Amino acid sequence: MLRSTMVAFALFAGATLPAAAQWSFVGGDGEVVTLDETPVRIIVSQDAAAGLIPLGIRPVGIYADSAVADAKALQGLDLSGIEIIGQAWGEVDIEKAAALDPDLIVAEFWPLETTWSGGADVVTALSPLAPITGPEQGASILTLIEDYEELAQSLGADLSAPAIAADKASFETALTDFKAAVAAKPDLTALAVWAGTDALYVAATQGSSELMDFASWGLDLIDPEVADDRGYWETLSWENADKYQPDLILVDNRSATTMETALAQPTWTLMKAAEAGQVTDWPAFWLRNYAAYASELEKLTAAINAADANLAP
Amino acid sequence: MSELAGNRAQKAARLTLGLLLLGLALAVIAMLSLATGARAIPLENVWTALVAFDPNATEHRIIWDLRMPRTVVGLMVGAALGLAGAVLQGATRNPLADPSILGIHAGAALAVVLGVAVLGMTQLSTYAWMAFAGAGAAMLVVYSVASLGREGATPVKLALAGAAITAVLHSIINAILLTSPRTLDEIRFWQVGSLSGRSMDIALQVAPFLAVGMILALGTARLLDGLSMGDDVARALGQRIGLSRGMAGLAAVILAGASTAAAGPIAFVGLTVPHVARAITGPGYRWILPYSMLLAPILLLGADVLGRVIAPPGEVQVGIVTAFLGAPFFIALVRRRKLAAL
Repeated sequence: MLRSTMVAFALFAGATLPAAAQWSFVGGDGEVVTLDETPVRIIVSQDAAAGLIPLGIRPVGIYADSAVADAKALQGLDLSGIEIIGQAWGEVDIEKAAALDPDLIVAEFWPLETTWSGGADVVTALSPLAPITGPEQGASILTLIEDYEELAQSLGADLSAPAIAADKASFETALTDFKAAVAAKPDLTALAVWAGTDALYVAATQGSSELMDFASWGLDLIDPEVADDRGYWETLSWENADKYQPDLILVDNRSATTMETALAQPTWTLMKAAEAGQVTDWPAFWLRNYAAYASELEKLTAAINAADANLAP
Repeated sequence: MSELAGNRAQKAARLTLGLLLLGLALAVIAMLSLATGARAIPLENVWTALVAFDPNATEHRIIWDLRMPRTVVGLMVGAALGLAGAVLQGATRNPLADPSILGIHAGAALAVVLGVAVLGMTQLSTYAWMAFAGAGAAMLVVYSVASLGREGATPVKLALAGAAITAVLHSIINAILLTSPRTLDEIRFWQVGSLSGRSMDIALQVAPFLAVGMILALGTARLLDGLSMGDDVARALGQRIGLSRGMAGLAAVILAGASTAAAGPIAFVGLTVPHVARAITGPGYRWILPYSMLLAPILLLGADVLGRVIAPPGEVQVGIVTAFLGAPFFIALVRRRKLAAL
């Protein structure tokens, strides 16, 4: 019933507004992509897949930054029937991509690198097949999700679908709880890190959209003094692991081995928070939809609620 | 006759003194290794940490948890590499012999690559054992291939078989690494050779193997002296050359395998140090072996200490520093005097 009304509406719209058949979108690079018809066959980057699939858009192909099983952004998504055309950063199978005959490529624009997800090689490989567009990496995951909503809507998604509304509602609840937890512990400080066997890497808040979100919602994130030349990390020798003393440590959870590596370092526990077990996940760089954001926020809220906020002076 | 005996006694006294001096130098380097790192710790605190450990003092924990295991592993691995190189050079009578030329490093590397790529290993402590098994398997294959034919495992055949097997193993390693970026990412630090991030557990796990290997290696001195006169002379002197070579090979595999397990494939130490030792002592494995055993950890730990300070806040891995330091030094040595032939 619903479907036939939609078809009728589409026919009606098509009859009265012939210009509406044209599709256009302003990409994160500022370029306007215009097509004669709404694109149907879409190849997406791993992150764009995480942004679009929950909104009801089914791409024909995905190029991932790593093996799909290891790609945190893709976890829990229904990938059935979607061809995987890349499983390493900067690599894409050009023959598979061409065989998919895409109308559009959706990726994310990285303003610092002034290129799209996957880097220049992928852009060179894919751009002859179809135009590339997508949102810009920005100061917040929320604006990124909103950009995906806008894009999905233009591609024909129905954002009022119950599943999508439910995801958004659960995120709103999680956010309210998070803000309440943070407000209840004004003294609590947090530190976001990545652990390697060679060194401990401390993240700059400005380098990651979700950290900027957390900070804007009231979480007191310690910012490292010296960031590296690209502004994302401060590298600390394990001998200096106690340079910062947060109450809560967030460990990059893109790979489970990062936590294992951290725990295996004898000086990991020089941080009082590590010694006290006040350690939780940092959903680093991969959140692209409300469902994933909600579950990560819930974990973080639980960790904040359980943490002693006066560990560090 | 008595003059000759006097000369020999004099030489022995001189070389013994040399050994003592090297031991002293090694102790100094080891102290330096404990005192050097990314965190500036005053010398008196280093000393207090050693004699009166306080588990609540951050600096003491850094000395004992980070620098001590690293230093101990460096000492053990260095001694093992030096000995393994000397024994291999003697047993194969090949001045270029070292653990990498007989396929030991390549075997260890392939085993680690397989462990990471197929079995999904992610932590150093687990794939150390893969390295050990791989080293042994590769050496066994090399030795079996070299033993084919009537003359058995002659030095030339060993070197050729080692080179061939190494090439095969490396092509398999490259095939895996080029198709699996995750594996490459995991092992690229291991592959260079490093002492950092090693825990005392690793030192304790490989220690028994190194002890056995060292005793075995030092015990082969007389056999190596026999082999150095050529197979025919050795045989005429009543030596069973197959057995001698087998024992020396076994010692080298245990030493090189265990050291690769602990620190990754560190090249160059095993190749250069025995030549330096030979330049000091002259022929005679009774002296070359202990000299190699003390000189190698001096080079390795010295290179590691240097690597910790030359590029702050990062570190340069010891495998890179040894090659960087070792190569020009080795060239100078070769240019300065004719190396004692094997």
